[in-house]
Amino acid sequence: MIGTGVKKGSAELAILSVLENGPLHGYQLARRIEGQTKGALSFSLAALYPMLYRMEQRRWIRGTWETSSNGRRRRCYRITLAGKKKLSPLRDEWSELFGALRRLARVSNA
Amino acid sequence: MPDWQRIVRQRLAGLALDSEQARQVLEEVAGHLEEDYQSLLDKFVPEEEAAHRALKQVDDWQELKQRIESARNQETIMPKRVAQFWLPAFLTLSLSMVLLALIQRFGPNPWIAPVSGGRLRMTPVAVVYVSWLLTLPLIGAMGAYLSRRAGGSTRAVFSSIVSPVLPYLAFFLVGLPVALILDDHVAHNLMIPALFVGLSAWVIFPAIALLAGAWPVHFLASRRLASGRVAGN
Repeated sequence: MIGTGVKKGSAELAILSVLENGPLHGYQLARRIEGQTKGALSFSLAALYPMLYRMEQRRWIRGTWETSSNGRRRRCYRITLAGKKKLSPLRDEWSELFGALRRLARVSNA
Repeated sequence: MPDWQRIVRQRLAGLALDSEQARQVLEEVAGHLEEDYQSLLDKFVPEEEAAHRALKQVDDWQELKQRIESARNQETIMPKRVAQFWLPAFLTLSLSMVLLALIQRFGPNPWIAPVSGGRLRMTPVAVVYVSWLLTLPLIGAMGAYLSRRAGGSTRAVFSSIVSPVLPYLAFFLVGLPVALILDDHVAHNLMIPALFVGLSAWVIFPAIALLAGAWPVHFLASRRLASGRVAGN
């Protein structure tokens, strides 16, 4: 059964999937998602930070301040163990959704 | 180059977070805008246009402020409340009830309070488990310690540790009056002085015992916190 939180979960899935490959700060994260999806998915600042803070509160990700070589302070986000555990059911839920849509499209095309 | 810190501070003014959290949010959002602006400049977008496009990422700053506050605050309030109030309250209540049950079953006989002239009436007017009362300061101290350790305020500490007397208080304030109204037998047997003795034995004395244990812990923790602040300064 596909849950009602699927739509909201898409942003969480995107963030967790990207962070699974390594820590990134907010701006890099937004650009990485945009780049990897060829612009299909994009996060504005207004959408990104409330989502990151909420995920941090849930302990799926952890932000720490780091200073880059040019002296600029940035908050880097890492996926936590709880985040990795969350990622697996999210992926399953999305696979189920896409499977269902594929089946539906075939029926519609027939 | 625009002063992004100042711009963000103005647009997110009054962010309802603690000062450290607010400072971090402002720094992070300003940093994001600055990087966006810089990347646009790197693509040869004119400065004014780059600043305009960077700021355009947020249509409604008021809405962003609320969403950040909601994300940062609402989900932390509950765990804090749980740690500072509900958990100590639940533990003190459960532990005191378990101890009372054990003392009633295996402990020394209770003291049955006389009502007037030191003479025991035919009807027992108040059953006081002295050994239970003696254990309550320890339970109060434990509850106060847990609540303080989680950063509980004075109100949270003291309201959580008096939870063991709340069922009895509810009985005297609500249960008994309801029984008086609905049940004639209770009304016939009731002695008003017994009500006050019972209230003292099951609410006031236990509350004092719990507070007696909690107060030193709270006092010491507050002093330690204050001396820590002085040392920090």
